[in-house]
Amino acid sequence: MMDSVFDELYQKYHHDVFQFLFYMVRNKEQAEDLVQEVYIRVFKSYQRFEGKSSEKTWLYSIARNVAIDSFRKQKGWKGRLLDKFDWSSSQVKDESPIPEEITIQNEEIKWIYQCLDYCTVDQRSVVILRFLNDLSITETAEALGWTESKVKTTQHRALKVLKKQMEILNEKEGLESEKVRVER
Amino acid sequence: MKKSEWSDKQLEELLRQMPKIQDHRNPRDIYQNLSIKKRKRPAWLVPGFATAAALLLIFLLVPKMLDGTESSFNSAKQEESSSEEKISLSDDNSSIMMKKEDVAETENGISGAEPKMLMTGSDKTALYDYEVGNGTVMTYWIPDSQAQILVPISTVVNIDSNKDWLTTFTESMGLLKEEEWGLTDYYPLNATFKWDSINNTVTVDVPKDHKYGQGSAAETNFINSLKNNIVSNSQVSKIKLTTNGQPGMELGNYGVIEEIEVERKGKQAYFFYTPDGMDTTYLVPSTDKYQDINAAFEAMKIGQQELGLAASLVPSFTIKEFTIKDNKLVITMDDNAALENNRETINSYEAILLTAKGFGIETVTILNPPIQILGPFDLSKEMKVPIGANLHQIQ
Repeated sequence: MMDSVFDELYQKYHHDVFQFLFYMVRNKEQAEDLVQEVYIRVFKSYQRFEGKSSEKTWLYSIARNVAIDSFRKQKGWKGRLLDKFDWSSSQVKDESPIPEEITIQNEEIKWIYQCLDYCTVDQRSVVILRFLNDLSITETAEALGWTESKVKTTQHRALKVLKKQMEILNEKEGLESEKVRVER
Repeated sequence: MKKSEWSDKQLEELLRQMPKIQDHRNPRDIYQNLSIKKRKRPAWLVPGFATAAALLLIFLLVPKMLDGTESSFNSAKQEESSSEEKISLSDDNSSIMMKKEDVAETENGISGAEPKMLMTGSDKTALYDYEVGNGTVMTYWIPDSQAQILVPISTVVNIDSNKDWLTTFTESMGLLKEEEWGLTDYYPLNATFKWDSINNTVTVDVPKDHKYGQGSAAETNFINSLKNNIVSNSQVSKIKLTTNGQPGMELGNYGVIEEIEVERKGKQAYFFYTPDGMDTTYLVPSTDKYQDINAAFEAMKIGQQELGLAASLVPSFTIKEFTIKDNKLVITMDDNAALENNRETINSYEAILLTAKGFGIETVTILNPPIQILGPFDLSKEMKVPIGANLHQIQ
């Protein structure tokens, strides 16, 4: 019976859930591991899923919890301790390789991918669900277990962060291209 | 020159243009990995237990050491109590030492707690007659996670005497915790069982949409587990197969099968099998038969790597010679045998007991044992062969 459930879920949602997880953790291999974890949790609680919410938002809510748990795990007590003492590291972000799918894109897409990293986990969840997974405000609220107004304000703040970081990046790039010009 | 301002709309548009990242793995692989992953234990579990055990040891040993240096009065008292313990051990004839620990403990107070730690029954794997009590022993053959071998799991169930063995067998099927034990989730079987005590046959009826014919491993496991389950739990000699009440069961590689003859096994060698990522060792019999017990012992030194079965006779268990008389096996250990009181040796000893049982042996005696106590066993005494392999309680 697990077999047929898996087939159905895979057909309908696998790529969307994978997409979500990838942009959450920004690492393909990790996303591959996490999507497995999503299935495991789904099978464990499938009997309990009684169609209270839609299957889709239910899956996204599991995926989000899986992603958050993985952040917690990564940042074990060692990580948390180091963070406390090493203030300079607060701005240094993770160095996962940027996948090819992103690097072949135009400048702006690459930038926004980098900027996403400056959003909080909540902000990133909303942005990905809304614009990459194409969920409505109502669906996003259901997946995150929030009110619709919280979704809206978080989305607004996320866009603000993105805008700011895009401008910073733009300035930096501009300076660099100017430098090149001067050197010539 | 690039623009320096992005409106919300533009940002949203950019986000929507982000490329789709695909998971290129085959869905079958993903599904396969699920069952392997599910069994992973949290990473802290093993070190956690080790730490707890170490703390317990320190807790037990430190006061003892302090005592020893501080007062001679105390140590004299201790000697007295330990000699008392010796008496209580030696005047008991049972070769299993677990029960008498309780006696020793009440006699000696706290000092009895120490030997108890060394002799808990947790390291042994098989089921022995003293553990059965009024219960009924049921053996289930469960495929390993790779569906390559069948692992016999013995369990003791308490039933009311009105029920026959088959009812007990089928009712307890659902209580097995295969995945927790590192095996494949296999029971309850998707079939109904009927026992015809006059013709001494069991009829197994599967529904039309049964999955036991999917692939040769599934078929072989189904047929062999049926045979083994029937042999282990009854005297039935024939299995009839029906599908939805109609005679015969369709299995791709076998064609339509209506009957299976059940043959009594025996003369097998027991090997070690450890599920991936677990530290449980199961004792699993070979599918081959061996001509004599010597051939079986030789095979046990090597194992059957292609089936994931490891050697079960550890090198330290050096047998010099053995004799069989009146169904009693007497093994003389080599003078250089360096037996250690650890789990691997306990498992080896049990593998010998179980293998011996398959050759009709009733008791095993070890002569010249380098150590007297091996886990819960007293090697200086004659030992009855186990009732069954791999005990797991389900009730």
